[in-house]
Amino acid sequence: MAETLQNLLLGFSTALTPANLLYAFGGCLIGTMVGVLPGVGPLAGISLLLPTTFGLDPTGGLILLAGVYYGAMYGGSTTSILMRIPGEAASVMTCIDGYAMAQKGRAGAALFIAAVGSYVAGTASVIGLMFLAPPLARFALGFGPPEYFSLLILGLLVLGYMTGGSMVKNLAMVVLGLLIGMIGIDHMSGYFRFSYGVVALGDGIGVVPVAVGLFGIAEILATAGQAKRPEVIKPKLRDLLPSGEEFRDSVKPIGRGTVLGFLIGIIPGSAHIISTFVAYAIERRLSRHPEKFGKGAIEGVAGPESANNAASCGALVPMLALGVPTGPIPAVLLAALMVHGINPGPLFIKEQPVIFWGLIASMYLGNLVLLLLNLPMVGIFVNFLRIPYRILYPTILMFCVVGVYAVNTSYVDVAIMSIMGLLGYLLRKFDYETAPIVLGVVLASIIEMSFRQALAMSDGKYAIFIQRPISAVFLAAALIMILLGLRPLIQKGINRGWREHLTKAEKGE
Amino acid sequence: MRSRSWILILFLSAGILTGWPGISAGEYPTRPISLIAPFPPGGVADLTARPLAAALEPILKQPMPVVNKSGAGGAVGMQYVAVSKPDGYTLLLALSSISVMPEVDKLFGRPQTYKKEDFVPIALLNADPTVLTVRKDAPWNSVADFVADAKKRPGEIKYSSSGIYGTLHVAMEMFAHSAGIKLRHIPTQGGGPALTALLGGHVEAFAVGPSVIASQLKAGTVKVLGCWGAKRLASLPDIPTFKELGFKDVEFYIWAGMFAPKATPPEAVKILREATKKAANGPEFKNAMEKLNTPVYYLDGPDFQKFWDEDAARLAKAVRNIGKVQ
Repeated sequence: MAETLQNLLLGFSTALTPANLLYAFGGCLIGTMVGVLPGVGPLAGISLLLPTTFGLDPTGGLILLAGVYYGAMYGGSTTSILMRIPGEAASVMTCIDGYAMAQKGRAGAALFIAAVGSYVAGTASVIGLMFLAPPLARFALGFGPPEYFSLLILGLLVLGYMTGGSMVKNLAMVVLGLLIGMIGIDHMSGYFRFSYGVVALGDGIGVVPVAVGLFGIAEILATAGQAKRPEVIKPKLRDLLPSGEEFRDSVKPIGRGTVLGFLIGIIPGSAHIISTFVAYAIERRLSRHPEKFGKGAIEGVAGPESANNAASCGALVPMLALGVPTGPIPAVLLAALMVHGINPGPLFIKEQPVIFWGLIASMYLGNLVLLLLNLPMVGIFVNFLRIPYRILYPTILMFCVVGVYAVNTSYVDVAIMSIMGLLGYLLRKFDYETAPIVLGVVLASIIEMSFRQALAMSDGKYAIFIQRPISAVFLAAALIMILLGLRPLIQKGINRGWREHLTKAEKGE
Repeated sequence: MRSRSWILILFLSAGILTGWPGISAGEYPTRPISLIAPFPPGGVADLTARPLAAALEPILKQPMPVVNKSGAGGAVGMQYVAVSKPDGYTLLLALSSISVMPEVDKLFGRPQTYKKEDFVPIALLNADPTVLTVRKDAPWNSVADFVADAKKRPGEIKYSSSGIYGTLHVAMEMFAHSAGIKLRHIPTQGGGPALTALLGGHVEAFAVGPSVIASQLKAGTVKVLGCWGAKRLASLPDIPTFKELGFKDVEFYIWAGMFAPKATPPEAVKILREATKKAANGPEFKNAMEKLNTPVYYLDGPDFQKFWDEDAARLAKAVRNIGKVQ
């Protein structure tokens, strides 16, 4: 403990030098912008910035890039809430209730809670990173393909069970997403699937064009298609802050989202988006008024927004503690150190205390900076809604196109976004939820890959999923979920299932 | 009115996105040269391209932006250069996978995205052999142990790779074929995940570049059994090569080299070769590569062509031996 404090002191003395403060602040600022811009997500942001850090010292470079990374998680919620465009993939769930709140004039409250939740989650997970990194990282490496597959199955079942509306429609959308996710090279055999000779489709359909198309473009089309002129929502100053009730309702979701996000973030190869949809589903199940979800429930913003921030911090654990780049973002951060001749490995924290503790301290400061940066911005951002649609929407459309193009400098991505926009518009007209499609696209390759890797490990024996203890626990939980879902069928009339109550409440009975 | 302002916006953004076409005249090079890295920033190709471009700029007296055109395992960027205007202003920094991809296309009977002959080699910049790496607690202490165990239980020892037909997969299968053993392949989505799978105990071995595992080796989490090079590695002098252990045709390198499109004018190629020779042997580039634990291994165009032809022949044979995976 005393040692940790001493190290932290060392960290703050590193992070508080004028240069490093500037890098932390600059990183957070760029990250916020990267998060706000649709399309350009944290990976594209730090990739584009990586070469500029080659001239800095390694600590400064890492502080800057990490700032962009967790800063993007703050910014991602802004456009989701105001315009129903996910600034980055992990903000898809925020679109649902955040935008519904904005339409009721509660955009300020949603943005406020998103910023506070992100701050709490960010700071709490830095504490987790500081104390738990080495033991947690070793545990996380034990998470192999079978465990990962079972976790995803459980996650999808939780989502299916806990989302309201028509379960059949929701599942159909998940399957559509999974099918879109099948496009591209089969990573286990090298065959191309449904790519029709287009080289750019070999990598499959990216989540960014799908998310921006299904949400952003579809929203613009839908608004433009309204017969009645849409009313411009003029927010009043007193509406900027959350009400006492909204505050109280957010406390527990923020706490749960933080723990869940951190734990899921640590798992190698996991995407932040998984933590957000699991957080959303859990909040809906535990909420006192689940029927409000989808129509502007503050918990639907607080939970996922906290989860994605905590997950971004958790993803750094295996990289910093063991030198293992478990995903593309930690790999870029690792490269930022490698060009300076620092090769992070299991001894990184011991050998490079200045860099590690400097980064930790800068993350405390960075999260504070982001909170102070974002809270006053709530007032400014909300005023975007005053802009007349004939000016606002073409501008948004331009940002969508430029943002999606910039990720891979690919026109194919822009075409995919346009097609998805049309699809999203049609689906909205037929009253289908589009978030499950995005989840399907993200998860398709991960589910398939982990399933087939697991079977390759066991030489085709399905027993591997129940022989490994962690995997068996997840599958058992999944089974319980299915049985719970079936209970109302067996005990008719006596014990109504939770879903049935929900459906009734939604119908206004 | 509204539609007219739309057209204006479209034109403006198109101009910003594509850049106005430049005018070329006089001595080469008269304008910036793009160096295409077909992988994302932070990868080996990118990390080699950037210091090289920085060292070439003062020699060629032109800016040399590195452009990352990633996708489809590098195919997008390599095809882009293969079909770009051969005027010496679009160059490619590719890895050894450039030889594998046309072979895999041939194997599957699909049209090749590009051919090896679409490129003129300018210079080889580095070439590191892979090393056979296992966890510290593995029961094997030599290649002989490993082979004997694999013969006892064919298809049971698992290894991870960076992806199907990826460098790490081809290297391992080349060795397995020569040793007459059968291993179980678990492809992952890159070098990082492949390392994660080994350290997490989900696989028992993998082939990897020595720079990737240098820090793990130092921390004692892994050990190295053998090396794919023709000579022993300077950084691992105790590790025998497969060649000296009697596996005569096992030789594999992860290399990076610079290429131009096929029909590039010979004068431009000559200027580029001379400039790269100076840049690659200068202290600036050497220092940058040293920091990455990847020593410079420079070969000029014609020598590189010979090296490349031999290497590609070995890789093609290995890919044919792997065949289509069921």
